[in-house]
Amino acid sequence: MSNPLTLSKEEAKALIARHVGIDRVPNKFSIITDTTDFFKVEYDDVMILGDETYWIKRCEKEGRFGLDEEPKFWVRRAIDLADGSIKIIKLVFYEKFETRIADVVIKCFRSPKKEARILNLVADHPRFMHGHSVNDSAGNNVRILEFIPGPRLDQIVENVVDSHEDYFYNHFPALLDRYIELVEAIKYLHDQGEKHGDIRRDHVLFDRERKIYRWIDFDYNFMHGESMWSFDLIGLGNIIIFLTGRGDVLVGDLYYTQRALYDTLWGEDLSISYKNRVANVKKIYPYIPDSLNRILLHFSQGARIFYENTAQMLDDLASARADLSP
Amino acid sequence: MNENSFADLAHKDAERHILAAVDESDNSKRAIMFLADFFGQDKDVVITILSIIPEPSEDFFATEAALEKWRLDKKAEMDEVLAGYSEILRSAGFVNSQIMTRLIIRKCTSIAEAILEEHARLHYRMIVVGRRGISHKEEFVFGSTSNRILHHATKCAVMVVE
Repeated sequence: MSNPLTLSKEEAKALIARHVGIDRVPNKFSIITDTTDFFKVEYDDVMILGDETYWIKRCEKEGRFGLDEEPKFWVRRAIDLADGSIKIIKLVFYEKFETRIADVVIKCFRSPKKEARILNLVADHPRFMHGHSVNDSAGNNVRILEFIPGPRLDQIVENVVDSHEDYFYNHFPALLDRYIELVEAIKYLHDQGEKHGDIRRDHVLFDRERKIYRWIDFDYNFMHGESMWSFDLIGLGNIIIFLTGRGDVLVGDLYYTQRALYDTLWGEDLSISYKNRVANVKKIYPYIPDSLNRILLHFSQGARIFYENTAQMLDDLASARADLSP
Repeated sequence: MNENSFADLAHKDAERHILAAVDESDNSKRAIMFLADFFGQDKDVVITILSIIPEPSEDFFATEAALEKWRLDKKAEMDEVLAGYSEILRSAGFVNSQIMTRLIIRKCTSIAEAILEEHARLHYRMIVVGRRGISHKEEFVFGSTSNRILHHATKCAVMVVE
C-alpha cells in the first residue's frame, strides 16, 4: 500500500472492501487528514492519522438524568482499517466551562494533552480504557481509544429488580469489591500525580469481554484549590452513595412515597453535592452497617471531616467490606 | 538564596524562628500584622515569610513560553507582596536580620504539604497561617490549607490567624 497520507480514494475503497465486502463500500466520502473542524467530518469519511487509517461512523452520545442523549461531534466511532476493530476517535475540542458542586463554582476545561498523557500512564492498567494519541496533519492531538463492549455501571445497578434488601445482601458485596478495585485504580493515578477529572457513575463501563469494570474519559481538568484530589474524591463519594442506595435515594420520592421516613431526615443527612439526594442511606435502609454508612456520611452536608486522599477512603472501605458477608 | 540552599538558615535552628506561610490575600496580611504587633519588640524572633505558588498543570498553557511568562508574572507580583509584608514587620520594630522571604513556584498536589515540607527541612518553632474563612462547602470542594496544616504539622506550634 502507498503511504497512508497520500492514500487515493480507490486505495481507501479497497481497504474498506477488505473488511465489509465490495457491496458496502460507499461511493461518496472524503479523505480527512486535518481534523481541526470536526463538524466537517462526515459518516463514511476515511480519516488518516499518521500511519493509521480509520473509516468514520457515527458520533458518540452522552446523556444522563432523563435528558435526551446529546451527540458529541468530536467523538466518533470508527473502524480501524488495519484490522477491522472498532475504535473511538476523540478529536480536539477545547471547551472551557464552569460547573457547580455544592453550589461552589469550579472552572473546568478539556485537555487533549492530559488525556493523551494518562493513556500512556495506564496503558498496562486493566481498570482504565486503553488507547493512544496521534497528531493529525495540522498537529491536533487525536486520541484513538479501544472500544469497550458493555454497559455503564449505573445501568447495571439500576437494572437490578430485587428489593433493596435482596440487592444489598446478594449483589452489593460483589459490587463493593469491584468499586474498591476502581478506587485503587484512581489511587494509582493520584500516586502518579494525575487526576481523573470527571469521576461519574456513567464513566465506568463493564467490559463484557474482560469481565471487569473500567474507567473512561480522562480529558477534563480543572483549577484545584488546596487539594488536588478533592474533585475526584467527591466523584467517588457520589458513586458509593449511589451503589449503596441501589440508585439515587431522592428526597422528593420519599416525600410522596415514604412520608414517615422523609420526616426523619435532617439537612445534614443529604448529599453535600446534590441536596435532593440522601447520603445518610442507613436512615432509609437500617440494615446497612455503620462502617459503610460512615463512609457515605463523609459526603453528607453534616460532614465535618473530609477525605484528603484515596488511601484514607480505602482504609474505611476495607473495614466496611469486612462487615459484609462474603 | 536559591530554594535548595539553606546553609545561612541553619544557625537559626536554636532561635525563635517562625514560619509565616502567606499568599497575597487579606488574611495573610492580617497574619503578618498580628506577628508584627505580637513580636515587634522581641529581638530574638526571626520570621521567614514563605510564599508557595502552586504551578498549574502544563495543560493550562498552550506553549512552554506561556508557562514561563506565567511564572515571571507571578514572581513579580508576589515579590511585591512579600516586600510589603517585610515592611509591615520593619515598621513594628523588626530589623532586616530578623526577616527572611522565600518565594517558591512549584508543582504540588497540596499547598499545605508543600509548606510542611519546608517546615521539615528547616525545623521552624512555629508555623503561622491566615485563615480565609471559607464556607463548609468550599472546604469540601477545594480543601483548606490551614486545616490541613493544623491536622498534620508535627514538632512545632501552629498559629491560625483569623
